[in-house]
Amino acid sequence: MEFDELPEEVRELIEQLDEAAEDEEEEAIEELTEKLLDTGVDMEAITLKKLSLCVMDGEEEMSVGWTKVALKIGIDPFKALLKGLAAGMSLIGDKYEKGEAFVPQLMIASSAMYEGMELLSPYLKANSSGADPSTVVIGTVEGDVHDIGKNLVKTLLSANGFNCVDLGNDVEADRFVEAAKEYQATAVSMSTLMTTTMAEMPKVINMLESSGMRDKIKVMVGGAPLSTDYAAKIGADVSPKDAAGAANWLKTTLSESPSDTENLN
Amino acid sequence: MVSEMTSRERVLAMLNGKPVDRVPVVTGSTMVVEYIKKSGGKWPDFHSNPEMMVNVAGMMHTDAGIDSVVVPFGMFVESIALGLDVKMGRVDIQPSVRSFFKKPEEVNYANFLENTYVQTTLEAIKLAKEKYPEAAIAPFLVAPVTLAGDLMGAENLSMLSIKCLQKEKQMAKMEKWLSIALEINKIYAKACIEAGADLLYYSDASASPNLVMPDFYYKVGVPVEKELGDFIHELGCPWVLHICGDTVPIIEGMASTGADCLSVEQAVDMKKATEIVGAVPIAGNLTPLLMVEGTEEQIVNETRKGLNGGAKASMLGCGTPPLSTSDRLKTWVKAAVEWSAENL
Ligand code: B12
Ligand SMILES: [Zn+2]
Repeated sequence: MEFDELPEEVRELIEQLDEAAEDEEEEAIEELTEKLLDTGVDMEAITLKKLSLCVMDGEEEMSVGWTKVALKIGIDPFKALLKGLAAGMSLIGDKYEKGEAFVPQLMIASSAMYEGMELLSPYLKANSSGADPSTVVIGTVEGDVHDIGKNLVKTLLSANGFNCVDLGNDVEADRFVEAAKEYQATAVSMSTLMTTTMAEMPKVINMLESSGMRDKIKVMVGGAPLSTDYAAKIGADVSPKDAAGAANWLKTTLSESPSDTENLN
Repeated sequence: MVSEMTSRERVLAMLNGKPVDRVPVVTGSTMVVEYIKKSGGKWPDFHSNPEMMVNVAGMMHTDAGIDSVVVPFGMFVESIALGLDVKMGRVDIQPSVRSFFKKPEEVNYANFLENTYVQTTLEAIKLAKEKYPEAAIAPFLVAPVTLAGDLMGAENLSMLSIKCLQKEKQMAKMEKWLSIALEINKIYAKACIEAGADLLYYSDASASPNLVMPDFYYKVGVPVEKELGDFIHELGCPWVLHICGDTVPIIEGMASTGADCLSVEQAVDMKKATEIVGAVPIAGNLTPLLMVEGTEEQIVNETRKGLNGGAKASMLGCGTPPLSTSDRLKTWVKAAVEWSAENL
């Protein structure tokens, strides 16, 4: 979908709809949606593209407005989430990974995504594909309250279709293990930003091992002071360099191991 | 060859861009567990007992040979004095701010200076000055952008740092938070200087490109830091500005605040940084973790690398890790002394 290839009249209506969304004018949004449908354009393609661009630019009100459009024209809510909102989160995530975007941009994109997701959530209960999404238990280790990076990892994992069980920050080692058991997690993701709390990570890994769960669970660790060497030393599977890397790595790894492939659509 | 100086003379000469007998070795936070134990400090009392605090911080100078004495231990004093929740951490974890205000109107700083923790800092400065007149007494304070981040929550600061560049309404909000932070900064700075501080060491951790937009730093961060800096200069005191992360993209802005020295961490390419700023001295930039588990060779190499890159003082990136060992701290000081003997 390329916007500049659309007829002038359609482009104008889209612009007006953007403005209506920005100003949260419900009636205008409905009216303009009708008008757009009347032109006979591929409204689903336009809406998905708009959703991803609004999230990428961190436009909260516009993401909400276009999510309403998606619901109104009957786009499958899972599609609206994955091909629309979440796709936008991946776009900005990729830019960030390449050094073309900054953390605040990820944060406003993430809040735009969640705002839209909230509208979709009542319709998302039954997973249309039938398979349960893989579950990731995520948190910041005990003694550390830094959770901005952890939240970004969570956002990007969710955007990639993972179900995240968020334990928050300052999480004791055994709570990671208990949650992994309770939710039959496919992976555990731990963050820390402080050198003083890094030693909590091997604790969790050892506990997973002694309870016989380590083989079935991928362990990701991350945060500014961690290196891939350190991750290897403590027996984690990996320490991708940022939140976007974490989501990409987990997606790829799980799709490589056949038993999990079906869970990842 | 400059004749031997006291630690205080050495640090002040460096800040003035004057010759030194050897490069100063300085640091940010100094809550070192080994020194807490050796000086009979008790957690959490050393955060509120000036004598205990100075005994711990003083050992960085008397035992390890660091040129400055730094109090307090962490970046929570401003917040706790404003009534925010602070978790006191552990003997090896610094306290952390756990809550924030919803609106700028909620911030009340009328009795700021009367708070126990603020008083502890002020008393500790006086006491350190008495006990170690030959050292540079350097209170460790929270700079305005970071303080604004503590007031409104770091996550909000990050998001507002981009929104305020796009919309005037958001900029007005940001300015409101910052103006309050600045007022508090000024009250505290003045009191620290009156208590006898030789310099003020400001961490603007949250002004980092890791957390806010570099554009925001230039347009909004630099002017407030400069306003605080000018105020401090008028009171006759020098100040040092630290920002975390790879600050190369913003180091020109840091230099334009008028700070007497810029402090950078290990993510920074020292050579690049010194080339960009020219005359303003830069302090840095050893990996703090080396003080916990570094080998002698690693410590010596990183010390020399920073100094060869043009650093005018050797400093640990973001402060001294609580689990640092005294032998490693001494190895570091020795490396800086030896480098000076060969190069100055
Ligand atoms: C914001 C901030 C705070 C906020 C945190 C708010 C919050 N809700 O998180 C507040 C003010 C509360 C805070 C408190 C403290 N902080 Co602080 N803080 C910062 C700061 C400025 C930014 C951190 C941040 O959020 N960065 C942005 C996020 C997005 O980055 P990130 O978390 O690293 O995440 C990225 C990657 O690491 C990765 N990632 C993260 N998790 C994971 C997980 C996996 C699996 C993977 C693959 C990747 C991954 O992906 C993310 C992005 O893609 C840094 C300095 C700096 N500029 O970096 C200091 C810093 C981290 N803090 C530090 C310290 C010391 C403290 C305090 C002890 C200070 C004090 N005395 O008050 C307390 C902490 C107490 C405690 N017990 O936790 C030090 C840590 C030093 C060290 N290495 O040990 C730093 C470096 C600064 C400093 N020198 O003071 N802090
Ligand atoms: Zn720092």
